[in-house]
Amino acid sequence: MGVYARLNRALAYSKGLRVFELDGFERLIAGFFGRPDRVPVLIQPYTYAMGIHGLSSRIFFREPVPFVNASYNTTKYFGFDFFTPVFDFYNIELEAMGAALVWRHGSEPDVDSRSPLIPSEEEFRKLKPPVPGKSGRMPYILESYRRFMDIMELPPMCYCCSPFTMAVLARGYVGFLRDMRRNPAFAHRLMEFLSMEVVVPWIDSMVKVAHPSMVVMSDAWASAPNMKVDAVREFCLPYVQKVIKATNSLMRTVLDTGSWGEREAGDPREILDVKMEMMAGNPVSALRPLFLLVWAEDYEALGVPVVREYSDEKNVCLMLNVRPELIEEGPPERIFETVRGLIRDGAGKGRFALLANLVPIGTPHEHVHALVQAARSLGRYTMTGRKLGKGGYEPTRHEPFEDWLKREGLPVD
Amino acid sequence: MGWHDDLQKGVCEGEEEDASAAARAALEEGVEAGVVLNAAIEGVYEAGRLWQDDEYFLPDVVLACEAFREVMTMLEPGLRAGTGCWKGRVVIGTVEGDAHDLGKNIVMAMLRASMYEVVDLGVDVPAARFVEAVREHDARVLGLGAYMTTTMRNIEGVVAALIAAGLRSRVKVIVGGAAVTEEYADAVGADGYGEDAFAAVRLADRLLEVS
Repeated sequence: MGVYARLNRALAYSKGLRVFELDGFERLIAGFFGRPDRVPVLIQPYTYAMGIHGLSSRIFFREPVPFVNASYNTTKYFGFDFFTPVFDFYNIELEAMGAALVWRHGSEPDVDSRSPLIPSEEEFRKLKPPVPGKSGRMPYILESYRRFMDIMELPPMCYCCSPFTMAVLARGYVGFLRDMRRNPAFAHRLMEFLSMEVVVPWIDSMVKVAHPSMVVMSDAWASAPNMKVDAVREFCLPYVQKVIKATNSLMRTVLDTGSWGEREAGDPREILDVKMEMMAGNPVSALRPLFLLVWAEDYEALGVPVVREYSDEKNVCLMLNVRPELIEEGPPERIFETVRGLIRDGAGKGRFALLANLVPIGTPHEHVHALVQAARSLGRYTMTGRKLGKGGYEPTRHEPFEDWLKREGLPVD
Repeated sequence: MGWHDDLQKGVCEGEEEDASAAARAALEEGVEAGVVLNAAIEGVYEAGRLWQDDEYFLPDVVLACEAFREVMTMLEPGLRAGTGCWKGRVVIGTVEGDAHDLGKNIVMAMLRASMYEVVDLGVDVPAARFVEAVREHDARVLGLGAYMTTTMRNIEGVVAALIAAGLRSRVKVIVGGAAVTEEYADAVGADGYGEDAFAAVRLADRLLEVS
């Protein structure tokens, strides 16, 4: 079945046409737009997938087949509904322009903050944009998307670094703070360059290969308390909107997410409002914005009902991540009960999804199973609303990952 | 305004060039480095007060700390030649795998402003390097920062390495960073957890019984 047929099925189901079974992708889409059969759980397998397959970071983050196959295996083994092939998306464009990376055992690489790519305005004048799809590890990303499509028969959600976070990484945090304060003309020139000569061509080349329905720009440095809201509004948001305007289409939502810090604001709506503007990435108003992602540190401080009420008011899907340290520490009963609380307070009558991200390497498999079991058994939707499961955590014997991998997994070497 | 007010204002407002120029002018006038330092300390403390009163945001404090750091770099030779009034020596760094230094730099500035001698090991520091530095500098406090959930666990490795090297009883271990909690600090056997830079200074004072 083609992707558009599956989207239509999911949309129909989400609006009440419950006459067929959903697969994981359809469940996620139905969760974006309405009421699926149960709460969808998305995973960003990332370094957890690297760890359980015993891969080195230089292989996982450089070789498309091990990267995508390990991510897929992790999703399948634990029974998540869908996965996004997440890589070290803050590094790709900067590395392609010549930034040095620091590689470590058991972790993703990082841009070397000790030697910023653009140490001065003079150096910026010499900087050349990457050749889209060809420089640095861009070919690895594009090939990974091809691999994803081969396996999933679906376009991937594509990722890139937002121009604002790229500027902070390229100049160094203090350097870019000083630029914004003392040399705003230069800060704007840099943002213009990164937006229109780096990010837009890179998105265009990803689109050409992967035909994604969603492109996500990640923007950790636009988060509070790292940045003030007024700085985000002046130096970040206008460029996000420029990129969106240059790259989105009827069938492709381009948005900026990954920022957080609502708990840091006197009025959390101040930051939630900016996030919604940054996620308004589709020309069709019904698809704008698609979802609101709130991170554990923020919803734990504010309370899930607060962000549920906000997303209801904006008529948007609420996505909550499950705190990675909780998944690591367990025990399974605590994970199960935490998910019960998230579903009770957040799932409403639909338009809700859970996300497992940054699960630490070494997290016991039972903990991840408990998360999936909780979402499956507790988060059922009915024709008219939601039925919160009453049962507790049931220890279940699962086939060891290594055995499953031999029997059903995709090869990673 | 005289150098004192210029220096205090320059540090507080994160204008490192103004602050350094004022400090240089004071030294050229023959003012002792310790006296110049006091004005810079007033500036960074004022920035901290404004932060705690919600008038300053994190970027304002970071720039104030950077200005303070630049003034300290200029003053350090003079301070070393003076009578010496340090409360103790702190070795500090971000644990292995973690490249974030924002919080650590603020803690360093506040420790220095509180008259601690600070040895900065930087970011992504292996456990063995912390052990070596504690021994080499005879540190009384070891500050460990972790800003990601994926790297926080490396704090345990540093504590274990200190124990293995027989140094644990000689140094107070304080921990902090976005990923760290008080419960975690207790669980790994740290001597204390600092929620922010001010708490870190108070904690060091309490552990060393100085003020």
